[in-house]
Amino acid sequence: MGNLRQIAIYGKGGIGKSTTTQNLTAGLAEAGKNVLVVGCDPKADSTRLLLGGLAQRTVLDTLREEGEDIEISDILKDGFKGTRCVESGGPEPGVGCAGRGIITSIGYLERLGAYTDDLDYVFYDVLGDVVCGGFAMPIREGKAKEIYIVASGEMMSLYAANNISKGIAKYATQGGVRLGGIICNSRNVDRELDLLKAFAKELGTQLIHFVPRDNIVQRAEIRKKTVIEFDPESAQANEYRQLAKAIENNKNFVIPTPMTQERLEEILVEYGLYD
Amino acid sequence: MSEILTKPTEKKKKKSTAISDVRYGCAVGATNTVVAIKGAVPIANCSPGCQLKTTAMLTFENGFQGSVAAGGGNMPSANSTENDIVFGGIKTLDQLIKSTIKIYDGDLFVVLTGCTGELIGDNVPDLVSKYQKAGYPIVYANTAGFKGNNLFGHEEVVDAIIDQYVGEYKGRKKKGLVNLWFETPYYNQNWRGDYQELARILRGAGLEVNVLFGPENPGVEAWKKIPKAQFNLVVSPWVGVRNAEHLEKKYNQPFLHIPEIPVGEEATAKFIRQVVEFAGIDNKKAEEFIKQEASIYYYYLEHFSEFFAEYWYGMPSEFAIVADASYALAYSKFLADQIGLIPKRVVITDNTPEKFRPAISEYFKNNISEGVSIDVDFVEDGYIAEQLVDSVEFTGGKPLILASSWELTLANKKQALFFEITTPSSETLIINRTHIGYRGALQFLERIYSASVGGK
Repeated sequence: MGNLRQIAIYGKGGIGKSTTTQNLTAGLAEAGKNVLVVGCDPKADSTRLLLGGLAQRTVLDTLREEGEDIEISDILKDGFKGTRCVESGGPEPGVGCAGRGIITSIGYLERLGAYTDDLDYVFYDVLGDVVCGGFAMPIREGKAKEIYIVASGEMMSLYAANNISKGIAKYATQGGVRLGGIICNSRNVDRELDLLKAFAKELGTQLIHFVPRDNIVQRAEIRKKTVIEFDPESAQANEYRQLAKAIENNKNFVIPTPMTQERLEEILVEYGLYD
Repeated sequence: MSEILTKPTEKKKKKSTAISDVRYGCAVGATNTVVAIKGAVPIANCSPGCQLKTTAMLTFENGFQGSVAAGGGNMPSANSTENDIVFGGIKTLDQLIKSTIKIYDGDLFVVLTGCTGELIGDNVPDLVSKYQKAGYPIVYANTAGFKGNNLFGHEEVVDAIIDQYVGEYKGRKKKGLVNLWFETPYYNQNWRGDYQELARILRGAGLEVNVLFGPENPGVEAWKKIPKAQFNLVVSPWVGVRNAEHLEKKYNQPFLHIPEIPVGEEATAKFIRQVVEFAGIDNKKAEEFIKQEASIYYYYLEHFSEFFAEYWYGMPSEFAIVADASYALAYSKFLADQIGLIPKRVVITDNTPEKFRPAISEYFKNNISEGVSIDVDFVEDGYIAEQLVDSVEFTGGKPLILASSWELTLANKKQALFFEITTPSSETLIINRTHIGYRGALQFLERIYSASVGGK
């Protein structure tokens, strides 16, 4: 288990975390890596493309219906190229505490032995912002040591990325968690590449990969597939392979230096976003 | 110099919010307020430790008062666990309410929700209202521990019962009928005896007393009678004032707030006259009662005065008190004004709301007794309270320290006469005791001077 890398993917809601995570893990799996993907979102849609549909019960649904006596096979399913997929799930909307649910789920995964020695990667796909301590669970207590933030050139996504960096900086002092970089999931905003590069630099990190916008992603999604599975020869599939490779080879891990609101807005103005 | 000033160690020190040696329970401890109403059943909607700890703190390690009916170990509790937090605790609570109604022949059920349910936002009002609509006498109170201590919880429960159980009333008020809002059940360790003594005094003064808690409480019918009373009488520095203000708005019912629980003949006679004047009733009965009680009181006190004048050894002349606002104020007044002891330190530990503090401070400064004045400290932390008392240089014989078990070691160090008057009290067993009014004052003297003559 010495070489296991535990990675959490954060980013503003709707930015494409789940899509990016699944495509990049497909790339890692294709390259022969053993990967576990843990969806940390009550919507439970973090593994749909790897499994070819919402094909499994979440940890919390299973706990709710079956009680505490559950097997790992009840909650873990194999997806594309042997990726192992788990969905933490959550309570019904408006009831209970979803954040605590994430903590409970990860606790169960550990007890049931989901973290086997042959794993190379565990990816935690966490919903939206770090809204409370429960959703910070993957980066607490030394679980995920690497964080990547998915962002685009849109203002609100950069606000969120900056806020997430504040959360990382908080836990970095005690748990050793580090920011590995920003993944740009392009929205075709003007000067997006420059803006993201400047933004990453200001945070003290790197833009690890710029994923261009391509409708093939949507076409693959409709078919419940990652791009790599849907059209392995496409340019977009290669983009995700490059992202996977960049993460595989990444050595640049930092404690981020989040910006003040004023500084963030300065950068946005500088790159023409306010025009 | 400027370099030094910018070092992180030079940052302003924040005041710690930690409390050592606690002297109250959390808001959900108000389950014991419910237990003090005959026929009422508390339903504790909280984690198992919450109920155990508050009950242990307020009824066990507080004069080993024990409990009755659905109190103590019989108390229904949701015993919320992780599943109730993740998925919501409404289902568990629903089952608990069903079972409680089945098992207990209760006249009133009160659901008290603690931190867990309140944090995750369980919709308890919605659940309880279903039972209310089905005709069950049940109410809910928001008693999350993070909102306050058991005194806050007590007031929450009282308002909850008034609003959800007593309900609307537009009828006439009964002249001479008074609702007694007084000590917090179980928390004020002599509450049972104190309620009896104060009710006896008010009846003696010619009033009809509606006793809402304790041995003389007839049950929930007393609560239904609340709106019919001529007025509300609050005998406490602050607990219950919020409820009386609420009743004033709700039933257009005036209230009389007397911060000082009367101890001894002089204070009690003054108290009676104040209440009778407010009630506007004929004072003939009251004056006769005062006369009769005074003659008995001074008959005993005359005997005591011989001892008091002749006994030379180990008599206290100064005292320190560490207690809640009501006992601290009542006992200090009696000791300073009637016995002639000098207060050297008064520490109030009940987290008195800010708005009541100036009046209480003023009382200790200018009203405690002629020529006696003391600055009172509002401190909840045991470490600071101990430092405050420890720093006092007592003179003239043995000092008297009235406090909780936490102060025992300190009292030994100060070679003081010491006894427990507030929670926790782990070296006192209380069945029926009072230190207030006429009869209680004499018991209070017995206790202090038994300690002086070396008794236990």
